[in-house]
Amino acid sequence: MDAISRRAFAEQLALAAAAPWFLEDVGSVRPQPSSPKPQAQQEPSALAKALAETVRLRYPDRFTADDLAAITRSVDGRLRAIERLYQTALTNGDEPDFVYSVYRGAD
Amino acid sequence: MADFAFLSVVELARLLRQKKASATELATYFLDRLERVGPRFNAVVTVTRERALAEAAQADREIRQGKWRSPLHGIPYGVKDLLATKDYPTTWGAEPYRQQKFVSDATVIERLGAAGAVLVAKLAMVELAGGLVPFAIGSETSGSILTPAAYCGVTGLRPTYGLVSRHGAMALAWTMDKLGPLGRSAEDCGIVLFHMAGKDPKDPSSVDRPHPLTPSPSRRGGTKFRIGVPKGADKDIQAEVAANFRQALKVLEDRVEVVEDVELPDLPYGAVAGMIIAAEGASAFEDLLKDGRLSQLTAPEDRTGGYPALAVSAPDYLRALRVRRPMQRALDDFLKKFDALAVPTRTTVANPIDKPFRDGWPGVTGGANVIGPTNVVGVPGISVPNGFGVQGLPTGLSFTSRAFDEGKLIALGRLYQERTDWHRRQPVIA
Repeated sequence: MDAISRRAFAEQLALAAAAPWFLEDVGSVRPQPSSPKPQAQQEPSALAKALAETVRLRYPDRFTADDLAAITRSVDGRLRAIERLYQTALTNGDEPDFVYSVYRGAD
Repeated sequence: MADFAFLSVVELARLLRQKKASATELATYFLDRLERVGPRFNAVVTVTRERALAEAAQADREIRQGKWRSPLHGIPYGVKDLLATKDYPTTWGAEPYRQQKFVSDATVIERLGAAGAVLVAKLAMVELAGGLVPFAIGSETSGSILTPAAYCGVTGLRPTYGLVSRHGAMALAWTMDKLGPLGRSAEDCGIVLFHMAGKDPKDPSSVDRPHPLTPSPSRRGGTKFRIGVPKGADKDIQAEVAANFRQALKVLEDRVEVVEDVELPDLPYGAVAGMIIAAEGASAFEDLLKDGRLSQLTAPEDRTGGYPALAVSAPDYLRALRVRRPMQRALDDFLKKFDALAVPTRTTVANPIDKPFRDGWPGVTGGANVIGPTNVVGVPGISVPNGFGVQGLPTGLSFTSRAFDEGKLIALGRLYQERTDWHRRQPVIA
């Protein structure tokens, strides 16, 4: 295993833990399948295709057709996860979980 | 030469105190072992021989003068090669960063150095299982301390987000990355955490919280630990993993009150985590995305994996951060009913080395997802070895608690390890 695949291993570990979430929310204690059952490949949405096209336009010479298909599928999965984000009710006053602090240097 | 390979920090420190070993002897032993055995496990990125021998010589001088800095004084250790070290490359385990160097050490390395620990190597994450170092520092965004701990038969402690400074560590997702120890025992992990933790002006997310040096189960007197077991935790997982989990709870039965089938609040943990890791990761590695160096990564999915995040909108990322706040409150309200949740750390043993993760153990579809939700909100967890499963590979038992309750986790881990010897088992290394 060379240096690159060590990194890939570490990242895949992180992604493996999070992977089911990228496509659909798994709820609190839904099973974490290590080997999901094969599912019929869904046709990516028009929005996913359009967003993937914006990625291609940024880097027009970088991707093969297979790369673009993979990117489109991933964008499509992410869009479905995003829908879940908007099912939690928030009000105008619900701020992000970080606090901006103003800076003043030494006088 | 004595065999130090699988001794704990506590045992090695005792040898140093009794003058049965010197820091230089320990450093030389582990340096030689790293160079001899490390390559077989693809475990070693850089052996820091010169630095280690200099630090060990200094430790020996101080110890001879009776100046003990800490229980880590003179103890060798390694760090995942995503922590900055001056004078040696910090490759982040990737070809584009093979020659990367930093002018100063990461804060955790500074702190462990101040405690007298001796840095012997920069590593991948299989080093403890091979007895190459007594303890190591790893990182977890969503499972990367607890998972290798379970798979390798060692103890891993993921601290609360912010308890340990991230300054000098490679960022994957700034608001989810945590640094923590892997070691031979829960007691060792507690000692290491004590010397790593604390506020760091260089990391605004770091916090100052008191942390006991060696949390002990005996300090609770007769009070039982209240343990929640999530619904489905041992259903439809590898049979040996389930059996080891139940046996572990039985070992503890006189000291724990188990509440079965508890259910975490139903919230979109996965969507929040996915959005945060995607957006923050794409920003953290924007240079790789922009100049195309992602193509230098080996795995095909890694070469395209970062690009979909470019289609994430700022309002969607902020939505995830806004949802995370009520999520934190809901999960804290849930966790405060227990001293800890208990689950099998992973639903299977380690994946076969020759198969992609997704094809590793077909048919295992069960278990309870605790690692994911608890990483999103940044609460701590510990994994201790609790037996062996398929192909004789290790399994893990994990406990998870409210933020800053590491003391309870370490005490539970110590209690379990006082009654079992799984953490003392060693692999046969020909």
